[in-house]
Amino acid sequence: MSSAIELLWTEKYRPRGLKDIVNQREIVERLMKFVHEKNMPHLLFAGPPGTGKTTAAHALAHDLYGEEYHQYMLELNASDERGIDTIREKVKEFARSRTSPDIAFKIILLDEADNMTADAQQALRRLMELYSANTRFILAANYPSKIIDPIQSRCAFFRFTPLSKEDVVARLKYIADNEKVEYDEDALETIYEISEGDMRKAINMLQTAASLGRVTTDSVYKVVGLARPKDIKEMLEQALKGDFSGARELLRKVMIEYGLSGEDVVKQIHRELFSADLKLPEDLRVMIADYLGEIHYRIVEGSDDDIQLSAFLAWLAVMGRRVGAQS
Amino acid sequence: MSSRIPWIIKYRPRRVDEIIDQEEAKSSFLTWIETWLKGKVPEKRAALLYGPPGVGKTSLVEAVANEYDLELLELNASDYRRAEDIRRIVGVAAFRRPLTKRMTLILLDEVDGISARGDIGGLDELMRIIPDARNPIVLTANDPWSDALRPLRNSVLMIQFKELSQGEVVALMQRICEHEKLECDREALRYIAEKNMGDVRACVNDLEAVGEGYGRVSMDLVRTLVRGRDKSMDLWRTLNSVFYAKEGWQAKRAVQNSEEDYETLLAWFNDNVQNKYGSPDDAFRAWDALARASLFISRAKAGNWDLLSYVFDLIGPGVAMARQSGEVLRNRYQYPSKIIMMAKLKDVRGLRDSVASKVAPRLGISTSTFKADVLPYLWIMFRQGDVSRAAGIVVGYNLTEDEVRYLAGPRANDVIRAAEKLREELRRRSRESAEITKAEGTGKTGEDQGRTAQRRGQATLDLWWGSAGAQQPRQEGEERPTKATRRGRRGGHRESTM
Repeated sequence: MSSAIELLWTEKYRPRGLKDIVNQREIVERLMKFVHEKNMPHLLFAGPPGTGKTTAAHALAHDLYGEEYHQYMLELNASDERGIDTIREKVKEFARSRTSPDIAFKIILLDEADNMTADAQQALRRLMELYSANTRFILAANYPSKIIDPIQSRCAFFRFTPLSKEDVVARLKYIADNEKVEYDEDALETIYEISEGDMRKAINMLQTAASLGRVTTDSVYKVVGLARPKDIKEMLEQALKGDFSGARELLRKVMIEYGLSGEDVVKQIHRELFSADLKLPEDLRVMIADYLGEIHYRIVEGSDDDIQLSAFLAWLAVMGRRVGAQS
Repeated sequence: MSSRIPWIIKYRPRRVDEIIDQEEAKSSFLTWIETWLKGKVPEKRAALLYGPPGVGKTSLVEAVANEYDLELLELNASDYRRAEDIRRIVGVAAFRRPLTKRMTLILLDEVDGISARGDIGGLDELMRIIPDARNPIVLTANDPWSDALRPLRNSVLMIQFKELSQGEVVALMQRICEHEKLECDREALRYIAEKNMGDVRACVNDLEAVGEGYGRVSMDLVRTLVRGRDKSMDLWRTLNSVFYAKEGWQAKRAVQNSEEDYETLLAWFNDNVQNKYGSPDDAFRAWDALARASLFISRAKAGNWDLLSYVFDLIGPGVAMARQSGEVLRNRYQYPSKIIMMAKLKDVRGLRDSVASKVAPRLGISTSTFKADVLPYLWIMFRQGDVSRAAGIVVGYNLTEDEVRYLAGPRANDVIRAAEKLREELRRRSRESAEITKAEGTGKTGEDQGRTAQRRGQATLDLWWGSAGAQQPRQEGEERPTKATRRGRRGGHRESTM
């Protein structure tokens, strides 16, 4: 058995330079021009998760500044920062630090920029102008439409598309061979189908399946099943059967064991709701979605998630019995 | 996880001598019971045990029943106690001639809670039964001097329970902590005892809430989590008045008059709807009202405090009027588990966040993306996958034991042990390779490795090199700096941004 330090393969196999990026050819070529010219505008990277936006930003910085690129790059994540004020402080601090001998600017990578409110984006726009002398921003976003126009117009736009089947499968194969993983060829294709061109998801799935043994189509499906805690589905089924206490017990279990918040639970329920595994009359699904949305809204507004979800389960118990009585 | 029996039940005294303090009360109660057991009838056929909550009144009765092998017939506060109920249950038992030698002990808990409205004629009926009872009747009350109990006082043996001494309560909590293997600090126990004014039940509940949630009982925890519970009587009355209310205004008044704040009330109702309403429709209506109450609290907190009045409407009449089809169940009230749960939740979420903040930056993703997209896979790897790979990840990301417990759940010990072994092994290997380097003196990679290790000054990375350097994933490795230096810089950067 292997006894070695194990890294998550998404970290271990992350491309270092632009030429290591196997896909997004067009984008890579444009970025390489910036490296050649030693200059670039602000950039906006848009596209679905796992298509290589942050990876491309890192690779670009790597090629511009060399191995020591991290000292010339500030990485921020809009979802993790506390507010525009902390971002402003960090940007200010960073802009004052020294620049590279060859390149006149430093890079600020702001990930998940589309999660910022419009107000925060306005403040961001001012920051971009204020420090444009010696910094360039790279904004990464899943939904470019959520980025305000004044920012969009200041950035060169790059659209990242989901990876092709060939690219994903080839990469998975490369990793699997390197890690000496036993696998069935069609299992890798299955991973591609499920991950829908999201490389991060695909690699995570491969590593997880490999930790269970030989990677087969079955083991891949097993991973998919396990990644969705089945307690949620069971909880719904029990409530619909009228076993309210059992359902509430499961609710507390998922909240405590997995540390899920009320909002997490609501989202998981929503994901289960329209799956074929859950046997329900279609019109009831719609009613449940409606009620679930109300619960979601209340939790977001700050009301007690345990009480809200208990009410939801109690309601399911009533609805389930009515449906049971009809059929 | 320990068994889920609440400590207040787990550590309930089984024998009379396990009841702390109350020597006078014990001896007069035992004398009275022994008269019955000798086949005689004492002058007063009923005894009223009175005193503050949680000093051992009910426990004494239960311990006596247990020790003398008496059949205990218990009618507690949440049961109906109207005249007909008393006649049907108490009357029959009181006049029963024993078929066996086993005597019946009748216990009516919390008689000062028998309300004039809800339990019409209950006390009168009791007065009629007592003078002729053939079996001992025991009543308990917090306040025997209330008007309602006045007629009763002449026909019962009054036995007073005193407030417990702080020392005794602290000693008891200490014994529980020892039994639960809980680290506790004496000052914290004293604080709990003081806050609860000698109420053992409240003390044990608080101890459980803190201990189960945090695994230790320290002053800082206790100071934030424990507050005085001198109002437990008030709570009990409020719950009863709402669940048994026949009119909306009765429930509303009960909630408005309560000294508890609305959030405490909400927590108590949230955990007792299930105990009181048997019909799913009733239960749903009650919860729907509570859920709306909670919504109004959040709206009020947003600045519109006038909205609080709707909170009371929904908790009181909302819950009371929810009962349309069913009876009220005769279950005891339950201490809200929310408090215990919250403490645990805080721990679990803390661990989840600390795992996220360690791993997410290295993957170049936000912690929220990590939680949603990566964490589920880690759970599988840790709970079902190959243990040595999981151990490899533990070392690779320098995860703590608690973080492993969170990720691996039941398999935690296996993973922790494997990670220990792996660290050991890597340490050995790096020592060996260091010796080889020294011996050869010229090995280029060896020098690189030494320099990297020095620069990093951090054990993990030179270990990493020692083990994984051989499986370099990149083919074009020669024109790039070694993995170890690359990671070294990344590591340095991480420290500066965090």
